[in-house]
Amino acid sequence: MRGFLEVFRLEIAALVRSKTVAMLSIASLAWMFAMPFVVTGDGTVEGERELFIHYSLGGVFALLLVALVASATGVLARERTAKRLQLTMVRPVRFFSIAFAKTAALTACGAAVLALATLVLAVRTDLARPCSHVLKPVMPSPREEAKAMYRSFMEDPNTPVQVKSARKSAVLRLLENRAMDNYQTIGTNDTAEWKFNIPGETAAAAVRIRFTNQFDMRDDVRGLFRLGGLVGVASNITQAIVTVPLLGAEQSSQETAGDPSTAEANQASLRFENRGKRPLMLRPRRDIDLLQPADAFGWNLLRTYLELVSILALTISFGVFLSAALGRPVALFTAIVSLLVGEMSPSVVEQYPDELEKDAVDRIGLVLTRFAAEATRPVSALNPLERLASDACVERKEVARVVVLQLLLVPVFLSLLAAFALPRKQDDL
Amino acid sequence: MDDGENVIELVDVRKTFRDFWLRPTVNAVDGLTLSVSRGEVFGLLGPNGSGKSTTIKMILGLLSPSAGKVSLFGLPPRSIEARRKLGYLPELSYLHPFLTARETLTYYAGLCGLRRSVAKERAEELLEMVGLSDVASRTVGGFSKGMSRRVALAASLIGRPELLVMDEPTSGLDPISTKEVKTLIKALSAGGMTILMTSHLLADAEDVCDRVTILNHGKAVAGGRVSELGTSLEEFFLAKVGDPGDFKLAGFLARGDAR
Repeated sequence: MRGFLEVFRLEIAALVRSKTVAMLSIASLAWMFAMPFVVTGDGTVEGERELFIHYSLGGVFALLLVALVASATGVLARERTAKRLQLTMVRPVRFFSIAFAKTAALTACGAAVLALATLVLAVRTDLARPCSHVLKPVMPSPREEAKAMYRSFMEDPNTPVQVKSARKSAVLRLLENRAMDNYQTIGTNDTAEWKFNIPGETAAAAVRIRFTNQFDMRDDVRGLFRLGGLVGVASNITQAIVTVPLLGAEQSSQETAGDPSTAEANQASLRFENRGKRPLMLRPRRDIDLLQPADAFGWNLLRTYLELVSILALTISFGVFLSAALGRPVALFTAIVSLLVGEMSPSVVEQYPDELEKDAVDRIGLVLTRFAAEATRPVSALNPLERLASDACVERKEVARVVVLQLLLVPVFLSLLAAFALPRKQDDL
Repeated sequence: MDDGENVIELVDVRKTFRDFWLRPTVNAVDGLTLSVSRGEVFGLLGPNGSGKSTTIKMILGLLSPSAGKVSLFGLPPRSIEARRKLGYLPELSYLHPFLTARETLTYYAGLCGLRRSVAKERAEELLEMVGLSDVASRTVGGFSKGMSRRVALAASLIGRPELLVMDEPTSGLDPISTKEVKTLIKALSAGGMTILMTSHLLADAEDVCDRVTILNHGKAVAGGRVSELGTSLEEFFLAKVGDPGDFKLAGFLARGDAR
């Protein structure tokens, strides 16, 4: 433990005395204060607020991510080249402690600078502003839906031979990608129903929804939402995202939890009756959210901060591991490419479906991209800034999971790998 | 002296460096067997490229041998227990330039597991010993080579090691400091510390070493007690190595130092 503390202190001293912390703090503060003058929103106060929150903290986070990952890739490699590392390695300190202490020090530096930016954001926003839990309808996963569709395709004699003879994994992937965009149609005077898992009591709620119609034209929407005893009236145009408050008389928690005869435990049914002149369409996985009141923006900001620090810790520990196993230039190159691939691969996978896999190079490229997208999904799927900006609650359970996994377990695991690589890399010198 | 008292033991140790494709490039150490007993000052001598540094790095656990066995105090060199008893003075100082002399010593003391108060006390004591008390608060990045060497020497002693490995201990020191270091080595040895050192300065080795081994092309070509060589170490060395090359300079320096 003493060895860990000494290496941690040394790294902090290096970061402070090399003015890295000061430079990062100045750059971050400049970015935070310059943002309101740079940002041009949609002209509304809300829009500008959303952009400010997203891009101010997002910019600082991006800066820290690149700067600290670059530092992390040099933290052991540079010391090894300068032969200072060997003086630490011959002392009675575990190699794991060396790698983990360096990861911890860089993370602490990132956390401190990010805290400064978060503090500026806290001062410039309304901390008491309410946030909402954003609930999605309970549906089979896109994978399950794709499997069911695949089965029905195979049983259907009218399915084209090309589809039947195609590779199962390719068809399944295609169907899975499209499951997110499957539309549901609600005819005139028909009622649609979606189930939601509701945590706790639904004292008040709202529905955020986006309808379209088959002609993709702007049209009137008229209808009635019901959630237990709560009622909301929708009267707007298609193509726009509308938030419909659900109001009602004082409800008991049992009533508001939905109809007990039809709903399972903790599940509530949201019904929508289309009273307009045309059938309406929506993609249930994308276009409908049930909003439930959550705690204030200040707490959401704190949770977002914790998630961002955890992501920083994970990427820093990856950089330190690379630094233990590779020379500085190769480690830096690998880290930056990994960051870019992790950032870009989900959109590449979404934009290039299997039909485009015509030649071998494309196929290999897409297989690798899909692998990268899957491997980085735990990080890329997190989007705390977007949720913070849109007043959607960054959920406590998710924060706890991210902190345990990305702030503790993964850095410990990568530090163990670094400890394994350290003496072996020394052999190369 | 029986095996139980050996502090360092190398048995048929080989080290082959390989390229990216794992093809052997250099046989740096080739079947080296040696042992260093407790309390001894042992000199590892040889021309450049003879395998001295590679041998030292294997003893320190910084390199793994390709074959053979290296043990310190009967333990693998990378074990924490063995490293607890080890001090190391590298050929160049390799200090963190942003730390002060005092911070450098307390850092290495902390790595040796000393409590903060003990570390500070011992740092002051060693700074006094190497004559750097008045510049203890200056960052070592601004130190001259000789001053850095003194800090490194103090750092190698901060954990009160039982075994001190010194790579060219007098390198970069002026004649007075060199003499002080040699006196220190003798004093440490008299106190029971085992010392393994390499040196290009044969006169230095002759002055302080009890026993030497001469390496050439990774092999031990000769060795024995300095007192039993029957000739000067330089003459003995030149006779054994055959190719004086690099050691003409070493001999010249040694003679100059003697004057």
